[in-house]
Amino acid sequence: MKKKKMVISQETMDVDFVRKVEALADTSVRRCFQCGKCSAGCPMATFMEHPPNRVVRLLQLGQWRRVLEGRSIWYCASCETCSTRCPNKVQLASIMDALRKLSWDAEGPSKESYVQLANKLFLQNIRTYGRQYEMRLAAVFNVKSGQFLKDLMLGPKLIAKGKLKMFHSKNKNLSEIEKIFSRIEEMRKKGEAL
Amino acid sequence: MSRIGVFICHCGENISRTVDVERVAAEIGKHPGVAFSTDYKYMCSDPGQTLLKKAIQEQKLTHVVVAACSPRMHEKTFRKAVEAAGLNPFLCEMANIREHCSWVHENMEEATVKAIDIVGMMVERVKKNRVLPTITVPVTKRALVIGGGIAGIQAALDIADCGHEVILVEREPSIGGHMAQLSETFPTLDCSQCIMTPKMVDVANHPKIKLYTHSEIELVEGYIGNFQVTIKKKARSVDEDKCTGCGVCMTKCPQKKIPNKFDQNIGMRTAIYVPFPQAVPNTPVIDRDNCTWFKTGKCSVCQKVCGPGAVDFEQQDCLVVEAVGAIVVATGFDLYSIAEKPKGSPIKGYGEFGHGKIPDVIDGMTFERLASASGPTGGKILRPSDGKEPKQIVFIQCIGSRAREKGISYCSKVCCMYTAKHTMLYHHKVHDGQAYVFFMDARTPGKSYDEFWRRSIEEEEAVYIRGMVSRLYQKGDKIVVMGSDIAVGVQVEIEADMVVLATAIQPQKGADTLAQKLGISYDKYHFYSEAHAKLRPVECATAGIYLAGACQGPKDIPETVSQASAAAAKVMTLFSRDKLEREPIVARVREAGCVGCFACKKVCAYGAVEEKEIRDRQGNLIKVVAYVNPGVCAGCGTCQATCPSKCVELDGYTDEQIIAMIEAL
Repeated sequence: MKKKKMVISQETMDVDFVRKVEALADTSVRRCFQCGKCSAGCPMATFMEHPPNRVVRLLQLGQWRRVLEGRSIWYCASCETCSTRCPNKVQLASIMDALRKLSWDAEGPSKESYVQLANKLFLQNIRTYGRQYEMRLAAVFNVKSGQFLKDLMLGPKLIAKGKLKMFHSKNKNLSEIEKIFSRIEEMRKKGEAL
Repeated sequence: MSRIGVFICHCGENISRTVDVERVAAEIGKHPGVAFSTDYKYMCSDPGQTLLKKAIQEQKLTHVVVAACSPRMHEKTFRKAVEAAGLNPFLCEMANIREHCSWVHENMEEATVKAIDIVGMMVERVKKNRVLPTITVPVTKRALVIGGGIAGIQAALDIADCGHEVILVEREPSIGGHMAQLSETFPTLDCSQCIMTPKMVDVANHPKIKLYTHSEIELVEGYIGNFQVTIKKKARSVDEDKCTGCGVCMTKCPQKKIPNKFDQNIGMRTAIYVPFPQAVPNTPVIDRDNCTWFKTGKCSVCQKVCGPGAVDFEQQDCLVVEAVGAIVVATGFDLYSIAEKPKGSPIKGYGEFGHGKIPDVIDGMTFERLASASGPTGGKILRPSDGKEPKQIVFIQCIGSRAREKGISYCSKVCCMYTAKHTMLYHHKVHDGQAYVFFMDARTPGKSYDEFWRRSIEEEEAVYIRGMVSRLYQKGDKIVVMGSDIAVGVQVEIEADMVVLATAIQPQKGADTLAQKLGISYDKYHFYSEAHAKLRPVECATAGIYLAGACQGPKDIPETVSQASAAAAKVMTLFSRDKLEREPIVARVREAGCVGCFACKKVCAYGAVEEKEIRDRQGNLIKVVAYVNPGVCAGCGTCQATCPSKCVELDGYTDEQIIAMIEAL
């Protein structure tokens, strides 16, 4: 991967975005002095192109785009080891949460954020059927993510064991579930929920 | 018959690791004249010394050899112990089997044999040692302080407050030094002028302090307790007694465009000037190189307007001799100007930063003057090139420092903190601006220092980027900074309006020449060397000379003040006694053989050799011989080596002793 040169100025440092992250996560990225303890203890760091400390470093420089373009935030397992051990009380797990939320809102610039896509489809299914319809989830996910044959051979096995139903079944109280979804939507509009 | 006691030290494991000390003790015990020999873990410790004293008394020893570290380290300790046991201290010698043997060898067998030889030599030598009585010399209770910065001022005030007279010599026209140039000081951000100027006034008004500004040390003679110092008072061209400091001369001087060194050459001054308005003394000085009268013989406006008639073009440099007992050296530092490679210096220049070529690339001290309320811009941060306020400012640390290949390997110690301070001052003055700092490490040891640095980032919004800058270049009216962020691992580019370089701290120019005049040692960078890095940090190896401040190594203000007070305390310790006891290692002339050629007088660096007439009972002159004044003699032994008739001998280092050592091999 070619590493782009960072041109830093007051224009390229998006302080507003960082302030939003800090407000959502109720912490400060400026407190971080780059000791690397978060990355040292992170179980997922080996899979991330930006280890946790670098995520904070990029936020310090207002370079959030570089963070959201990568998949680090989606690999985070929210185990909170980083937050627990941080010597400066930087709530990195909360920052990851906030970043995932902001990425969701911005329709995620990450091409590789399958987790986000899966999460979205998962909730859509719940909203439509009142329960999960795995077949549709798998099919739509494969189509939308462009990996048509992904895990295809698992299908027959799951069907044989009765784990994957061919047809959907609807929840009886679908209207109640719709109420939950619309209430959360309303709360988010008002800023009462994430 | 001598009964010599030999004491072998393990020095923890320092010696015993490579030297079989028990074997050395056993072997040397067989040496003729040795009555007692033993080894011990730490001879210098209290039990070790007790062992030594006990052995002297029980074994009725007449001479003692301690085989341990260098005599520079512990000769005094053991001689004191020997004296306490009732022997003359000069009957004790040290055999150095640490620096001269165990530390430099690896093979145990060979090192042990060498150690036996070294101890054997010293045993033979000590047999020829004579009882030497201690010499007492009077102490002149006046101190000389060289340098009128915060170090010199603090030392002078402390000594003077104790009731002793102090001579304070400053090269510049005013005291104050670098601290007077600073805007605000870390970590409390109090204004430097506010805490400095009262001290300067205290110095000027102190009845016990005699101030020589615009003066330099010409010559230093004598020794601890009795120095004669010749001070050159450079012509001020203004009579200090007549001048009232009204300043009319400065307002009328037609030469107004001379860069003021005090303002880092950003501000301008007149040819007759005081470096800054709060100068002490507030007496102007004429810069003869730039004054029209001295260049062309015309003008003399200042002389005409001066009411008291203080301007005196005829004034000459004059020499003053002062007698002092102790000297405090506090000559301070200078900033490394990286613009070009200094001639004849091992230090390489830094072309890549464009310092000296790009006008808006300045050094830290220049930024201080810009930020100072009394500075050339009245405290506004403005670019030197076009006077605009910089909105993007980049600070780069470690310029010159910590770059072994470029000539300086040490850390300048204060730059991390003053750069953090600069970002704060900038943020306070330019609210919509952004400060960036390129750094390698933030070194902030000190009370409230790390908190201060963190504050500059967390509250004052400075952006710190770990990684050095490779190059600076001008692009339009911007300076492009090419750096890297090693935490992210990418190159970083910033278009800055102004760049401030934290350049290395170096000793004051001419530090080496002064050291040669004083006879003190200095390192390869010309920082003065202390007698012991840990245990004697304010004393020079030369007795009676003490160090304070950045002339010894990079230091911040709190450390400088502490060291200055420590040096003052050392001076006061010296002055607490009327007479000083000194080692009787002095040269002695065998008058019967002396032919009076005075070759010794010619080579004596201390002027200790005098002429003495020998007369018979009737008063007829028989001959003139050399006489060594024991008070002045430093015991260097040059006369002994020079004397063609072998008639001068250095007590404690006689030819007899040296030859005995050689024969023992």
